[in-house]
Amino acid sequence: MQKTITIVEDEPFIIEALTFLLEREGYLVESVSDGALAIDFIIKTSPNLVILDIMLPNVSGMKILEDIRATASISGLPVLMLTAKGQKKDRQAAEDAGASQFMTKPFENAALIKNVKAMLFL
Amino acid sequence: MAGALLGTRIRENRKALSLNQKDLAAIAGVSASYLNLIEHNRRGIAGKTLNAIARALNVSSAELSEGMNQALIDRVKTAAVRNTQIKTEHDRIEEFCARFPGFARLIARQSDQIDRRDEEFTILSDQLKHDPYFAEAMHLLLSNITTIRSTSDILATSPQMPTKTAQHFINNLAQEARKLSQTAEDIFDYFEPTSEQQITSLDISPYEALLEKNRYYLKDLESDSVTIDQILMPLALSTAEHRETEKSLKSYKKMADNLPIQQFLIAAKNHNFDAVALAQYFNTDILSISFRMAHLPIKAEIPQFGLIQCDASGAVLYRKQLNSFSLPRYGGACPLWPVYRSLSQPLQPIRAMLDMPMGDRFHTISFAYPTEAAQIGIPALTEAIMLFTPDYAMLPKVAHGQTPQLTVGLQCTVCSRLACTARRASYLLSNK
Repeated sequence: MQKTITIVEDEPFIIEALTFLLEREGYLVESVSDGALAIDFIIKTSPNLVILDIMLPNVSGMKILEDIRATASISGLPVLMLTAKGQKKDRQAAEDAGASQFMTKPFENAALIKNVKAMLFL
Repeated sequence: MAGALLGTRIRENRKALSLNQKDLAAIAGVSASYLNLIEHNRRGIAGKTLNAIARALNVSSAELSEGMNQALIDRVKTAAVRNTQIKTEHDRIEEFCARFPGFARLIARQSDQIDRRDEEFTILSDQLKHDPYFAEAMHLLLSNITTIRSTSDILATSPQMPTKTAQHFINNLAQEARKLSQTAEDIFDYFEPTSEQQITSLDISPYEALLEKNRYYLKDLESDSVTIDQILMPLALSTAEHRETEKSLKSYKKMADNLPIQQFLIAAKNHNFDAVALAQYFNTDILSISFRMAHLPIKAEIPQFGLIQCDASGAVLYRKQLNSFSLPRYGGACPLWPVYRSLSQPLQPIRAMLDMPMGDRFHTISFAYPTEAAQIGIPALTEAIMLFTPDYAMLPKVAHGQTPQLTVGLQCTVCSRLACTARRASYLLSNK
């Protein structure tokens, strides 16, 4: 069965690139740009994996991650966090809040796909 | 020199300025004959007369006292040992200070200035790391680079891609490259010191530098381990700076004496650091409590509080910023901040949870108060403070769970909420 991935990201061209990459690998991809709409979108679509940017308009990725972990129906969802390179405190905070995996921007396409596959396999 | 008497030091300082006794007496407002007796150590002086003579000599009154001269010798010694390449006559420093007090002060002042520049450099480097504009610009820069890297990699590794799709990605690439170029230009413009504000924003008062260095908690002053004079002595301030810093330190000490730290922390923990509840508990005003809460030791179990104090025009009177919440030095902050709304509702504390553009959240208490008793025919002056914390989870539920949410920014130039009705200046990262 085709697995679904939700991208929460506010940069449209990054969404397009990620969508192309993930669809090429056979995944069904959906996206949401506004942090305030993300949690409802994720609950409604119940994807197999979420790729979540930390810096988002209105509601931060960290808050969305906390909400995911606090919502029973999606609390176990694998979440791959994306953030700007060098933000060590973000990484630590994301790990503390329950991020499954963490990648910094800019990332290697191949490394991202490898991580996604590993997370979905588990 | 170290043992020299006060009158002798006044004479040395007077001669260093090429003033005769008559001139100095006139400037200081004393009679020449009285000054003559003082200089020959036949009359002791203190208080107003000492201050007047010190001002006339352009030195602090402390500098004329015994301790300060020993301090001067120590400062010249420090300057001498700082430089290991030039061999100085260490054994003759006291003699040098006695014979050339003006040059000694110059060397000491320049050595102190080097120390202060080093401290300022450290503070500014730290500020740059937490500058909201710079943080947003770097985020944007990395987003641009991520798009370009990812998209170009897709194009390079997809030889069978349909022409239409490839052309779409090439267009994305071109647009993103233009954005990257614009972001880079914006960053260069930001660091070009063309505006007065950018230049003056580097100024930092000695008191502010002292607080920043001590993480806004003067433990030794609070515990009476040091006096205000002992704090001021090594700072080598000009007379005006000395006066201002002394006044601020006295104000700090008064705040700490009124709300002693140990007693305050016990009460604060019992009241979950709720400023309004603490004001009631200590039977004092929210202003005093807010200043106390902005000057607490840094510990995991103590929430961090920032503070801004402004007058009715919005001019910033005092500020303690947090790494995650920078405050403007000269006004120009987001007009949606509740501190400005509180000015129209004096004595009514306003709670609000601020949602910042980059997702950070802060619990705030704003409070406006009249600066003096009302008088007929004279407009009442009002000031306001806003106490804020990112550690809202440590506050009681009532303080954040049922608090009105406000969507705000720091200031227009670094705020990405382009449609905001309160916008009065362009967003500097224009390509976003």
